[in-house]
Amino acid sequence: MKSQTGLSVVYDSTRRGSVVLEELREIFNYRYLILQLVRRDILTRYKRSFLGVAWTMLNPLGMMLVWTIAFSQFFKAGDLPSYPAYVLNGLLAWTFFSQTTTASMVNLVWGGGLLNRIYIPRTSFAVAAMGTGLVNIGLSMFPLIGVMLVTGLKVHWSILFAPISVLILAGFALGLGLLISTLAVYFPDIAEMYQIMLMAWMFLTPVMYPVTILPEAYRFYLTMLNPMYHMVTLFRIPIYFGRLPTPSELLIPLGISLFFLTLGWLVFTKKSDEFSYRI
Amino acid sequence: MAEKAIALPTDQTIIELSDVSVKYRVPQEQIGTFKEYFIRLLEGKVKHRSFNALNKVSLSVHRGEVFGLIGHNGAGKSTLLKLVAKVIRPTGGRVVVKGRVAPLLEVGAGFHPELTGRENIFLNGTMLGFSHEEMLEKFPRIVEFSELGDFIDAPLRTYSSGMSARLGFAVATDTQPDILIVDEVLSIGDEAFQHKSYERILSIKAQGATILLVSHSMSMIESICQRAAWLHRGQILCLDNAKVVVDQYLGRVSEEENRQLIAAAHLDEFPAQKEYKPIEIRQVRLLNDQDHDQQVFHTGESVQVQIEYVAHEPIDSLEVGIAVHRQDGVHITGPNTTFDGLDIPIQPGAGGVAYTVPSIPLMEGLYQLSVALVNRDGNRMLDYHDHYYTFRINNRGHEVRERYGLMTLKGEWRLL
Repeated sequence: MKSQTGLSVVYDSTRRGSVVLEELREIFNYRYLILQLVRRDILTRYKRSFLGVAWTMLNPLGMMLVWTIAFSQFFKAGDLPSYPAYVLNGLLAWTFFSQTTTASMVNLVWGGGLLNRIYIPRTSFAVAAMGTGLVNIGLSMFPLIGVMLVTGLKVHWSILFAPISVLILAGFALGLGLLISTLAVYFPDIAEMYQIMLMAWMFLTPVMYPVTILPEAYRFYLTMLNPMYHMVTLFRIPIYFGRLPTPSELLIPLGISLFFLTLGWLVFTKKSDEFSYRI
Repeated sequence: MAEKAIALPTDQTIIELSDVSVKYRVPQEQIGTFKEYFIRLLEGKVKHRSFNALNKVSLSVHRGEVFGLIGHNGAGKSTLLKLVAKVIRPTGGRVVVKGRVAPLLEVGAGFHPELTGRENIFLNGTMLGFSHEEMLEKFPRIVEFSELGDFIDAPLRTYSSGMSARLGFAVATDTQPDILIVDEVLSIGDEAFQHKSYERILSIKAQGATILLVSHSMSMIESICQRAAWLHRGQILCLDNAKVVVDQYLGRVSEEENRQLIAAAHLDEFPAQKEYKPIEIRQVRLLNDQDHDQQVFHTGESVQVQIEYVAHEPIDSLEVGIAVHRQDGVHITGPNTTFDGLDIPIQPGAGGVAYTVPSIPLMEGLYQLSVALVNRDGNRMLDYHDHYYTFRINNRGHEVRERYGLMTLKGEWRLL
């Protein structure tokens, strides 16, 4: 809402056109709120810790170390030029995805009392969760590049394509986040179930192992039918593999992303009027 | 609706509700998991109980008007405010609101305890729909009004509840809104801040804002609202000039309350006695001038307090005393039989005394009565019913010239 003069703002509960588009317009009007929510998420998460926001970068590095020490032998890491960079690259995409979807659901179900007390666009929490994820993954690029350099992997110009990969991934995460948020309003148990599903999903996705270790009989299904395989690969191609994606490597994830984003947005906005009766 | 007779600031309608219903669908039992839900869905066993928070309510509020909403808890007042604030959408009918709404539904909704006051001001302000630049401009005024001083850079978790309430109020009311929604928030902070916030609401009103006010304080509704609506179980029972609505509402309330207080008084008559007492209070009754039990009186009415007791042993010099407190704890009076020189020789058995006030001077309010039996010589408390009995003074429908304060001095005015 800009500073309105007089009575220019008219709210009519019966005249609202498309809910789907109205919510888009409202999110744009409340863009400052989204920025503040992102700021709040990042500041409060590390507020009481000594290293503060540096944890955004230290956390994936630590995870990478654990994976490298624990698994590099099992996964015949010899096939991969720099296993730590491979793991970190995949881990960043996965962490972005799992944090964005979980946070959009948790913020809505547990922070959603707010929706009962004050009007804000209902997609705010999910969009802010995505925003927080974008800031985190942006900051994490520094340790990733650092690890690549240290392990002797060349940083190629194709890395400039990475933001597009991230945006496609973000669209998918937002869409799925909205879908499971809607479900979680009706079935709070979803929040717990989702954590277990995420764990299984991560092990089925080549995040810390090379895709070649999947048994050949199932490899096609495990990769092609798994949206996150396409997302993680699209993020790895310009950074770890140092090349631009082929048209099919780009268009398949883009299609998945747009499909889930549209579906999630439609379902969420159609149901969101009921939320304040439920939360 | 006799709206014509009331002078309204303008005829422009700013809030219009037509046939508005809000129906909550509450599942009868909690179904927590998918599996359970699908099984029940297949069996056709997902039962919902619907609850009409508002039922075909029509109402229009004019620009510049102060409109009051009264009614019991759960009558639908807050639901109506939330409709206007866009927090919920009606399940039926139409809500039209013109202008920027400042919701004082819950001040400081969305504050985060780990963020500082400064950070929370920006967070809360953007929730109300302001841009970052607008908040930069408002910031110094908000800090000044909220009287937080150096605390502004301390995390909110270190604030007292009064401090965060002040901050919330300051953020919500910094800009002149077209419509201000006030839900019982005037009770925040200390008395000085209450006064300050009340002043601010009056100044928002003076600048032409429309105010929608929910309050349980009838005197506030009467003094600042032009019109009011009485909501009862999701419907408007009465919509008229504020004074007319308040009169009708209080009339009903005092009828109900009289019944309830009498019922409660009878329940409490014989408190469980464990220890031995030489003398016990058996019954305390409040009677009107026709010797009928009554709990709601009007100023100037005759009130008789009858105290009956049972003695188990002879007592030389009994003193019977009562104390009257206003509900907020103000001690009004404490007459006893010694002050009046009444000697009460006690033999085992039942007895009683009565204290009659020919014309009670108390003004409207809820009062509590304590009764004590004391051995005058030893100054020993024999039996004591502390704040045990309740009565109300309510002047609706009675010619009482005075309206404010604790009591009437029964004075008279004349020209010099």
